[in-house]
Amino acid sequence: MLKDDIDTLLPLAQISLADPPADKWAAIEHLLDLIADNGRVTDREAALEALREREAEATTGVGMGIGIPHAKTAAVTRPSLAFTRSSEGIDFDAMDDEPAHLLFMILVPADGGEEHLGILSALSRALMHDGVRETLRSAETESTVQDAVREAVN
Amino acid sequence: MPERVVTVVPEDGLHARPASKFVETASESDAEVRVGRVDGDPVNAASMLAVTGLGVAAGEDIRLTAEGDNAEAALDELERILTTPEDEL
Repeated sequence: MLKDDIDTLLPLAQISLADPPADKWAAIEHLLDLIADNGRVTDREAALEALREREAEATTGVGMGIGIPHAKTAAVTRPSLAFTRSSEGIDFDAMDDEPAHLLFMILVPADGGEEHLGILSALSRALMHDGVRETLRSAETESTVQDAVREAVN
Repeated sequence: MPERVVTVVPEDGLHARPASKFVETASESDAEVRVGRVDGDPVNAASMLAVTGLGVAAGEDIRLTAEGDNAEAALDELERILTTPEDEL
C-alpha cells in the first residue's frame, strides 16, 4: 500500500515512547526533532514553517485521541514518519475535544507529489481500529510500535 | 434515504480546510451523514479520522447519504463545500 517500507519510513530512531512536552507546538517540535536528529532534515526552521502553514489551515488533531501533523517540504530528504505518545494527552484543537495521546508526524520532500496524503490516509485507516490504538498506547518497545504500524498499514 | 454523488473540486481533495469544513458541517447536522467512494464502504462523515482515511483526491466521485432531520439541507451544504475551490471556501 505504501511506496516506502516501514523500516525506512519509520525507523526506530524516529519512535519515542517517553512523554513529549504537554503543549501542542512543543510536541510538534519534539516530533520534528526525532526526524531531524536522525539526519533527515536540512532546514529545521523551514520544515517547522511548513508544519505551521498546514496547521493554520486546519488542525491535524483528527479526533479519537490522535494528532497527525504533516507537511510537504524541501527541508526533508526522504519521506519520514515519527511517533510519540502522551499519557496525559495534549490539546490538539481536535473537533471532538479529545486530547491527543498518539502523535504521528509525516514529512515528505517537496517533489513527493501526493505521497504524504497516501501515507496520511493509510495511517488514518489503521488508527481507526481500537486494537491498533491500544497496542500503540501500551507498547513497551520501539519495535512493537514499528511492527504495529507495519502490520496495520499493509 | 437521500443520497447524491459529488465530484470533489478542491485541489488537495478531501483534506485540510475542505475536510475540516466538511466534517464540522456533518457533525453539526441533525442528520446522520455517511460518505464513501462510489464503489467503497461508507464511513461516518462526522469523524475527521474516518474522512482522512478515505484519502479522496480532487476529481474523484464520492457518495453522500443522509438520514434524519434536515437530511437534504445537510447534503446541500456538504455538496457546496465539496464543489467550492479551496481558496473560495
